[in-house]
Amino acid sequence: MSLLQSKPAQNDTMPVGGSSPQSRHFANLSRFARRGFFPIITLAAVGALWEVIVRVSGVAEYLVPTPSAVWSRLTGDLGYFLFHGLITLYESLGGFAMGTVVAVVAAGVMAHSRLLERTVYPIALLIKVTPIVAIAPLFVIWFGFGSFPKMMIAALITFFPVMVNTFIGLRSVNPTTMDFFRLLDAGQAHVLFKLRVPSALPYLFAAFRIAVPLSVIGAVVGEWFTGDRGLGSVIIVAHHNIDMPTLFSAIAVLACIGLGLTGITALIERRVLFWHDSQQSGPGL
Amino acid sequence: MGRGDWEQSVVENRKPHVTFRGLTHEYGNGDARVTALTDIDLEIYEGEFVSIIGPSGCGKTTLLRIVGDLLTPTHGTVRIDHATPYEARHQRLFGAVFQDAALLPWRTAAENVSLSFELNRDADGDDKNRDVDELLDTVGLGGFHDSYPYQLSGGMKQRVALARALAARPRILLMDEPFGSLDEITRPDMGYELLRIWEGRPTTVLFVTHSIVEAVMLSDRVIVLSPRPGEIVDVVDIELSRPRLQFIEESQEFADYTALMRGLLKGARREPLAV
Repeated sequence: MSLLQSKPAQNDTMPVGGSSPQSRHFANLSRFARRGFFPIITLAAVGALWEVIVRVSGVAEYLVPTPSAVWSRLTGDLGYFLFHGLITLYESLGGFAMGTVVAVVAAGVMAHSRLLERTVYPIALLIKVTPIVAIAPLFVIWFGFGSFPKMMIAALITFFPVMVNTFIGLRSVNPTTMDFFRLLDAGQAHVLFKLRVPSALPYLFAAFRIAVPLSVIGAVVGEWFTGDRGLGSVIIVAHHNIDMPTLFSAIAVLACIGLGLTGITALIERRVLFWHDSQQSGPGL
Repeated sequence: MGRGDWEQSVVENRKPHVTFRGLTHEYGNGDARVTALTDIDLEIYEGEFVSIIGPSGCGKTTLLRIVGDLLTPTHGTVRIDHATPYEARHQRLFGAVFQDAALLPWRTAAENVSLSFELNRDADGDDKNRDVDELLDTVGLGGFHDSYPYQLSGGMKQRVALARALAARPRILLMDEPFGSLDEITRPDMGYELLRIWEGRPTTVLFVTHSIVEAVMLSDRVIVLSPRPGEIVDVVDIELSRPRLQFIEESQEFADYTALMRGLLKGARREPLAV
């Protein structure tokens, strides 16, 4: 009998990936730093080359500014760019949140019933294929000049990728796991919250990678049409004044916002989806 | 392999647990119709370990899915203590282990086992944690309660799946090639572990496999199915004494059974259809 009660065989006891989510998390950070090294060096080299070419050729600043001119404009009036940047960030995130909530609800409704799927999906597709730039002026007329119309545009552009992915995610449950739930006579709510929703999370995060930068586009497009606040309006005003250093500074701040949001999304994804195949190897951005 | 008189009387006195009557299942309709199972008549007794063996596509899995009410047969009936599979499922009589461990990857081993309690609306809160610990120890995963599936090997995942199935306290354990994806070294160990665990529990086991050795090693009876359409070729009683100890595969008796089974499976193989 002692033979039968032996512990699992040797080949069976070795864990495949022994590290905890936390230690892998730090490994990812340092890998991110290492991966950032070469792009930053390259970017600095391009900037230096640009500076030299502009100075030597004597191109006018209203056509191409030197990086140093952009830098001094940006750092000289950092409060100004931060203020407008934060407004754009606020509008992007607000719109992203609204669009995501509506999209997840719509996806849940569609996953629940074929009839609703056939009703909701074509409408969602219609919204997606209509150029956002064409709808933006309409929203400004309807919703006025505050942050709300910009958020609505960001929400609209966020909606479709999040909805489609969540819908696919809710449907893409491992059939064997589904069998197990059925065999144990699991209720509808258990199937939804213990199986479908967690199964949909990897799809949801894949959508976020697309939707987060899109929401910034939505906010900026909205700001173009109402020249009061935000980096979009800064760009329009700078464009009218042919104020290139300001224009480039606004672009640089927008790029930083996009990069920051994408990085934060990737970090959250790693935290939440540590169990998923996609997180076992490969980069997060 | 005729049964002895003694064996006969024991079998007759036992209570049939699962009864198949004229069970036939066809997939698809019209020209695309494929008959997976034909005319299965069979009794499985309470506490019996029964294997269903046959080549790929003989309807082994179909049979198991019909018992578990995951599939409705086109003809015939299955009764579990007079209950239909549907009723039996609602009475929560079943536990299952599949070839794919099908663990929830976002849950630790312990959380996967406690899933069975969570899905059971009338489970008692206090017993849960103690039972989970005990079950994981039983399947030999004492130190891996907080490991996630991605940190476990294939064999360990199947151990978690087995613990999860046992947590539902099933009267009937449905096992669909549970060790099918494991290597030849891990596989017999898992078989012996399963026997050890089963011997301590009054559970009827329906075990689908395509391994002759596994079927002989584990079972009281082996149902041999023919391919397409799946028909019962023979039912073989395995009269090896229990508990079955390691290295039983080396005995002459064991070799006789596997030879018999190989012959039955060979005889059942049909000529390929000329299309």
